[in-house]
Amino acid sequence: MLEAQVARWLARRIPPASQVRLDQRRIFILPTRAGLAFGLALVPMLLVAINYQNSLAYALTFLLLSVFLVAILHTFRNLAGLTLKAAGGAPVFLGEQAHFHFILESAGREHQAIAVGWPPLPLQVLDVPARGVCPVELHLPTEHRGWLRPGRLRVESRYPLGLLVAWSWIDLDQALLVYPHPLAGDLPLTPGQGEDEEDDGQHVLGVGADDYQGLRAYQPGDSRRRLHWKAYSRGQGLFVKEFAALAGRDLWLDLERVDGGLEQRLGMLCHWVLQFSSRGQPFGLRLGGQVLAPDVGEAHREACLRALALYGHAR
Amino acid sequence: MKASLPITRIGLTWLLVAQVLVILPHLPYLPLWIIAMWLGCAAWRIQIFRMRAEYPGRLVRIGLILAAGLGVFFSRGTLVGLEAAVVLLVAVFILKLVELRSQRDALVLILLGFFTQVTAYLFNDGMLAALYSLLPVCALLAALVGLQQSRFAERPLVPLKAAGGLLLQAIPLMLLLFLFFPRLGPLWSLPLPSDKGVTGLSDVMSPADIAELSRSGDLAFRASFEGPVPPLNQLYWRALTLERFDGRRWSQTLGAQQGPAAIWRRQGEPLRYSIVMQPSARPWLFGLDVAETSAEGVRARADFGLERRRPVERPLLYQVTSWPAALREPEGDPATLRRALQLPPQGDPRSRAWAEELKQRHAEPQQLVEALLAHFNREPFVYTLKPPPLGTDNVDAFLFDTRRGFCAHYAGAMTFVLRAAGIPARVVAGYQGGELNPSGNYVLVHQFDAHAWVEYWLPGRGWVSVDPTFQVSPSRIERGLEEALAGEQSFLEGSPLSPLRFRQLAWLNQLRLGWDNLNYGWQRWVLGYQGELQLQLVRGWFGSIDGRALGIGLVAAGAVLLALLALVLFAPWRRERDRQLRQFQVFERLLARHGVQRRKGEGARTFAERASRELPRQAAQISAFLAAFEASRYADRPAADPAKPLRALRKALPWRLRGVRG
Repeated sequence: MLEAQVARWLARRIPPASQVRLDQRRIFILPTRAGLAFGLALVPMLLVAINYQNSLAYALTFLLLSVFLVAILHTFRNLAGLTLKAAGGAPVFLGEQAHFHFILESAGREHQAIAVGWPPLPLQVLDVPARGVCPVELHLPTEHRGWLRPGRLRVESRYPLGLLVAWSWIDLDQALLVYPHPLAGDLPLTPGQGEDEEDDGQHVLGVGADDYQGLRAYQPGDSRRRLHWKAYSRGQGLFVKEFAALAGRDLWLDLERVDGGLEQRLGMLCHWVLQFSSRGQPFGLRLGGQVLAPDVGEAHREACLRALALYGHAR
Repeated sequence: MKASLPITRIGLTWLLVAQVLVILPHLPYLPLWIIAMWLGCAAWRIQIFRMRAEYPGRLVRIGLILAAGLGVFFSRGTLVGLEAAVVLLVAVFILKLVELRSQRDALVLILLGFFTQVTAYLFNDGMLAALYSLLPVCALLAALVGLQQSRFAERPLVPLKAAGGLLLQAIPLMLLLFLFFPRLGPLWSLPLPSDKGVTGLSDVMSPADIAELSRSGDLAFRASFEGPVPPLNQLYWRALTLERFDGRRWSQTLGAQQGPAAIWRRQGEPLRYSIVMQPSARPWLFGLDVAETSAEGVRARADFGLERRRPVERPLLYQVTSWPAALREPEGDPATLRRALQLPPQGDPRSRAWAEELKQRHAEPQQLVEALLAHFNREPFVYTLKPPPLGTDNVDAFLFDTRRGFCAHYAGAMTFVLRAAGIPARVVAGYQGGELNPSGNYVLVHQFDAHAWVEYWLPGRGWVSVDPTFQVSPSRIERGLEEALAGEQSFLEGSPLSPLRFRQLAWLNQLRLGWDNLNYGWQRWVLGYQGELQLQLVRGWFGSIDGRALGIGLVAAGAVLLALLALVLFAPWRRERDRQLRQFQVFERLLARHGVQRRKGEGARTFAERASRELPRQAAQISAFLAAFEASRYADRPAADPAKPLRALRKALPWRLRGVRG
């Protein structure tokens, strides 16, 4: 209840953006436990000053109190003026650590000991040089497939004295796709079960991995695995070995045909998507109503993995 | 500061440095074994950091603490009292070092360090000690900064710089608090650093006591006069009267201490001056006859003395007004006069007989006194700090046999004879003269200026002071003890290294007096800055002001100081030097508040045009601004100031977002 209210309030105050500059609207500041202890320690010092009527004890007590007050400005200043930018992140498989990249950028002075992270995970502490940038990579364990949206990022600074903490919660509007965890397993392949129920005649249908057809000139996007290195080394230019998949033998990965729980089945499909892709073998993917026609290539692989990751999710 | 975080190398380094600096001034007050323990603990700590040693276990820690407690008990004889408490504090401060694991432990150690520094001020609050204490405070803050640093083992001076900067920036606020934070009286009484070794007058005078004082070059007090300093031979600083004589020694009576204040009549011109007393561990204050003071907790006694409720344990500043020509108890108080005639029933028969004889010869008391003084002057009396032993009837022996002695002998003998002749008289103890410090125009009174003189009572005239020593050794009164003892070598016998012995070296003496002047200023304006002085100062600046207004003013002034510091630190005017760009930024912010954000790579014109489309009602003002901005920035026509259309736009835009973009 309260948390939701705080989240709503934060969303209004610090709306998601791919780049956020920390200023007084976005920074909060409070004493830390160390700061409270420091404040409490001033009490016996003041008592000594009063009871012994000692001017120097008064002076030191007041000096420390003033240092505490001045430290408010310094702690705040160490965070203010810092710009955080999202710098993307690559998709990962479930179970791996997701890597998010950020850039901390200083507009002017040096910022020392800035801590960034997602509590309760430990924060990463780093320094941002004056008028410079500092790249950060933060890791997050993945627990579900689909879009991984880390919560608001906590940026905090306790420098210089650790008596106060200035912090901000920042939503850099980042998301990263988590693919299912690949599970090895036997796949009940369904060769010859194309949609067009054709007889057992074999004909060439697109590119595949079954039969070597010859060479063709390289085009961007072609798999490197199929580069014809021998020709390249002879100085004849880049060629790609072409294979043909045999029609009627094209492969279909079908969620319906796999046994097990949903996540397990998605994991197995994921495994085979990776396998076929690495072999350059065309395959199609059927996920309930969603059908991806047989194809090969990076884009196809990505599309399949994405479909697997998002199966059953809104997007 | 996260409790579990390990301690950074820089933090630890600065912590060790700070510990050395904090403990150093305590060394004279610490038993030797603590230093051995300290070295052991520091070595252990470093070995732990280098992973060559283990943290002590629970049993070892308990053992160490018990051992330290026992050590304090055996070397100090007690576990209570300030000295023992400070030794214990230092022991804990040192022992904490070996169980320093996390940042929380480090914080505890740092706070202990600050507290240990505060206790150091109780032992020494001189100017040098105060200046020195900036070092440990700075090092402790540097340790605190070092703990926060992310980089290990790099740039060890960065924490020091940060700490120094913080300290410097904190000083204005500190001064504000120091000046205006209300000073309270002690909330409860606490043990003070023991007054062992404090020299000074005592309330019992045997001649030996004053001879003892004359060997000490310690400072008793300093006095600054508002007008010109009176001649030194008129400065009789009264402390107390000795009214009881037991045949050997003169001592105070309860009547003089506890009776109602003596009655006196103002006459002549007053003298105004202030005195800073060194701690004497005694309750009485010094002043010239007859002294009035507004100092808190001080009352006038039945013998014209000033007495404080509590002994003077710290340097004390007080203001005095004296009336040297005042008539003192012209009517006479029967109880006081009775006390001033007391003599032991037996002893010193020759003196008594001589007094009787004098009385026969001189009917008027005043004549008798003069005859007595003339006797001291005429007969071969000698002023010396090394008188021969006197035996039982010591007044007789002194007056008729040895005739060698110093102020205590002369004052005692004269009082005895006056009393025996029926004239009320008493011995006054205090200091006489002093040393004029020309650079500060004040008088330094040392322990060796301790003196005793006589006052007797005449009907209608009251108490009259007289100094028999002057008859014997005028130089003692006019030029001080050193001159009076020029042939005897007994001056400052107890302090062979005292700089006072080298007064004949002009440059050294000037150095000494200049240094004393500095210290005096320190005592008056810093150490003495307590209740009364503060009130005076505050009233002088703001007239009468009540506590509430003062509190509000204090907070407000503090806020102003912080705001000024914030301005310096953040320097908002430095963000964008270019006035036009600054105006454009205002423009951007204004529109951003209404939901039109400039996109990356969007130029001024495109942005303004898009904004006009999105905010059609304000389109006119937006394009006016754009025109002015472009004219001033690109066409270099400074006359086209974008400030005006900017103001117009601000007025045209509604305050709230809702309802604008329908």
